[in-house]
Amino acid sequence: MGTSLMEDDGMSINVCILRIEGTNCEQETYDAFKELGAQPEMVHLTELTPETLFDYQCLMVPGGFSSGDYVRAGAIFAARIKSRLFSALKEYVENGYPVGGICNGFQVLVELGFLPRLSGYPEACLATNDSARFECRPTLLKLENHCAFTQKMEIGKIYEIPSAHAEGKFVSPLIEKLMESKQVIFRYCNPQGEYAGYPWNPNGSEYNIAGITNEEGNVFGMMPHPERAFFQYQNQDWTRTKNNGAHGRLFFESVLEYARRL
Amino acid sequence: MEVPILESDAETLKEISDVTGAGLELREMQKIKEYFQERKRNPTDVELQALGQSWSEHCSYKTSMPILKEYLLTIEAPQNMVVVEEDAGVVDFDEDHAYVIAFESHNHPSAIEPYGGAATGIGGILRDVVCMGAQPVALIDPLYFGRLDFADELPKGVKHPKFLFSGVVAGIRDYGNRVGIPTIAGGVFFHDGYLSNCIVNVGCIGIVKKEEIIHSRVGHPGDYFILVGGRTGRDGIHGVTFASAELHENSEHESRSAVQVGDPILKEPLIHACLEANQKTLLTGMKDLGGGGLSCAVGEMAYAAGYGAEVSLDSVPLKEQGMESWEIWVSESQERMMLSVHPDNVDEVTKIFKKWDVPCTVIGKVIPEKVLKITHNGKTILEMELDFLTKSPRYKRAYTVKEVTPVVPDLNLPDNYNNVLLDVLSSPNICSRDWVIRQYDHEVRGSTVIKPLNGKIGYYTHGDAAVVKPLRNSFKGLAITADVNPRWVTIDPYWGAASAVDEVCRNLASVGAVPHSLADCLNFGNPEKPERLGDFVQVAKGLYVVAHTMGISFVSGNVSFYNESHSGAIPPTPTILGVGIVDIRKAVTADLKGEGNKLYQIGEAEREMGGSEYYEIQNVFGNQIPRTDPHTLKLRVSTLLQAISKGFIASCHDISHGGLAVCLCEMALGGDVGVSISVDSPPDVELFSESNSRWVVEVKKGKEKEFEKLFGTEAHKLGEVSGHRIIVDGLIDLSLKEVRNAWEPPLWRMMG
Repeated sequence: MGTSLMEDDGMSINVCILRIEGTNCEQETYDAFKELGAQPEMVHLTELTPETLFDYQCLMVPGGFSSGDYVRAGAIFAARIKSRLFSALKEYVENGYPVGGICNGFQVLVELGFLPRLSGYPEACLATNDSARFECRPTLLKLENHCAFTQKMEIGKIYEIPSAHAEGKFVSPLIEKLMESKQVIFRYCNPQGEYAGYPWNPNGSEYNIAGITNEEGNVFGMMPHPERAFFQYQNQDWTRTKNNGAHGRLFFESVLEYARRL
Repeated sequence: MEVPILESDAETLKEISDVTGAGLELREMQKIKEYFQERKRNPTDVELQALGQSWSEHCSYKTSMPILKEYLLTIEAPQNMVVVEEDAGVVDFDEDHAYVIAFESHNHPSAIEPYGGAATGIGGILRDVVCMGAQPVALIDPLYFGRLDFADELPKGVKHPKFLFSGVVAGIRDYGNRVGIPTIAGGVFFHDGYLSNCIVNVGCIGIVKKEEIIHSRVGHPGDYFILVGGRTGRDGIHGVTFASAELHENSEHESRSAVQVGDPILKEPLIHACLEANQKTLLTGMKDLGGGGLSCAVGEMAYAAGYGAEVSLDSVPLKEQGMESWEIWVSESQERMMLSVHPDNVDEVTKIFKKWDVPCTVIGKVIPEKVLKITHNGKTILEMELDFLTKSPRYKRAYTVKEVTPVVPDLNLPDNYNNVLLDVLSSPNICSRDWVIRQYDHEVRGSTVIKPLNGKIGYYTHGDAAVVKPLRNSFKGLAITADVNPRWVTIDPYWGAASAVDEVCRNLASVGAVPHSLADCLNFGNPEKPERLGDFVQVAKGLYVVAHTMGISFVSGNVSFYNESHSGAIPPTPTILGVGIVDIRKAVTADLKGEGNKLYQIGEAEREMGGSEYYEIQNVFGNQIPRTDPHTLKLRVSTLLQAISKGFIASCHDISHGGLAVCLCEMALGGDVGVSISVDSPPDVELFSESNSRWVVEVKKGKEKEFEKLFGTEAHKLGEVSGHRIIVDGLIDLSLKEVRNAWEPPLWRMMG
């Protein structure tokens, strides 16, 4: 730890980490960006305006239980974003800025109609896990395709990034199309790389889908938590295999790289 | 409203206390009568209720404190910063930081309404940590229920353990996960004695910059009292007096309103806002509104600083109209905190809470006289000296100490050890807890570096202690565990309590952590019964003897009496929470790492198997429970820590419930690799005794000689890590699959 790596040539990336009451993974998401030399900022939704949005080169919606998720997961946060920022956010995405959602953030982007494509209404759902309960467990993900958040990873490789959610089962009428159009980024697998069932697929997602992107590849959502795999000491099995690395870190490195090139 | 006590006789006084729900004893009512006789007036209903809150056992520790002060609280340790006198203990962490511990029971509410009771328990313990200015980093939940397969007729008014267990776990899950603090340790214990009174203990650890530690006392006269957070309602009326009496069959009907309603999504921004205001040094004091509500918070904050308070209830934001003055004053509605703020800073504090959309209201101010004065609708409804209100009576009640006459059952050696081991592994108190653990988000905040479940990806076993790394730029970690074996404490309170501290120290040392501080949650029956109080005294002595030698103090704690109903008292349950300090890079887990590594046992098994899982399975009774020699424990802990720090140890697990055999199975399951060992005679003692101060360690190849030299006769070789079977020479031969099938599914089968 200690020194932050300033990989860019003095051009720092401003990252907006959006929060409302009940978002609760903002600190570790913030820390991850900070560690890599970016300029993250936790911004309460009431503080973000259509103008200030463009001060940031990346927008992150972190995990948690926004507004308690007492309706459908992410629905209230999405509705509140919609009423404040919808057209600005649409423009932001159309300009190619990266927008990422982790866990609850993924649910928000789907509810908002920004994933699987920019439609303005939900075309998919992160439904209740098949086990019908919240589950916190290590998961393995195979990278299927690239998007703005994965350039530093390798297609076909397996990454250890943990999951913790009650509603993560991806279902959508567009699912076959998403598979064809290479919008499926991560799929749950077992250590052999097979698309295995529960508990490797912790929620019963169709095609073991763990994360998807939009058609342009700059909006991305995933259920597992890369910010919880930023240091090797966060891995479930780090006392066994010290050289595994920290796979979630690549997620943050990738999007910063992408944002720098914009 | 005036309460006519001046003209009342003894009988009427008691009746008044009962009818109003103030929960005061006759001698207390008489003392109150004398006080108001001097003032030549009757008390108001608000005054009587405030006294009921303040003098309740729950708030005042009137029975327990003299005993605790004699034994438990005499231990001093250089790392202690704040011990017992506030809502949470504060202990030195590094040059700039301290950690904060709070530990409490939420038993009575959970027995009536398990989901809400447990959830608000989490809410309350978070506030206890936040009100020291600390960021919560971990939650701990030891739980105790009746047997899940209880099939007889339930006592009247009692809910089935299965219902209570699933409700409590759901309450902790939904509150803890939503508020974003990881639940990383705890335990579940099943015993018939908890049938009518389940026990729900909740602990929280926080981290704070030393310069940001704030106290539960006001600054100076003229400071404003600002009430922040949730609105005040009729939920949680008489929570503390409810918790200071036995449960009975009509408790639900009469006391449902004593259980509060939790709202984690108000708590989450409340925590942010309180910590932000504190970091900006805008506060002079902060206290949570828990038991006793406004009544306890305002009085205690002012009294602790040697001042008084003037409060108006007119501006308190309410959930409903038409609440009586006394209801507002004693309501324990959740998600509320009390701040004391210098007048110059009120605007800025208000601004912060507005940003977070959290209600924030000035309700009164600090006055120099040690008097509490409350007004409502233009009338003075309470005016009392704080010396009288806050200083509750102290009692030395009679107690009797239990005589333990030794019983050693006559038991033949088993003819099939495989079956005995499988039975022990699948017993409800041994089997896998993953059904519970995975429902809790134990990784939120990204700082849980040793998780409650250890092992190779796809496999798991129970860890000994979980470890969080609370600071981004430091490898210093906090190891956390909570333990007690209530069966032992029931048989022999002194050695049962001593064993609980032994187990805590063992678990901390297992991961490589130096035991550093303790907190206690002492759950007992009715202390007005001499034999219950006798147990309590013995427990206090037993806890002291081990903690004292280990050089660690009880920095925080809680006593919960009256866990008793018409069908009896709970087993005396002193849950001990332990915190240790560890360099996380050197931490060790319980899962076996590599074939060919040698296995050693530290310590020896004794025939002291009373209360053991082995006797339970064999259905025999014995009362020789394990004893402990604290000096031996201390020596072994420090030697083990040396071995870990030198990098000799690949894995380590303490020997506890189920003995050596279970310990080895758990280690093997986590690493998905077998063991081959041999044991001396008598084999039942060697395999299943639960003697204290013992561990199994897996020593890295090439480090055996150094390890043996370090430990001398304190450790002996058992065998090695090998294959995919659990083999104990000539006694046990089971595949990992058979072992896993016994250990993993029982809770899932019962709970679905």
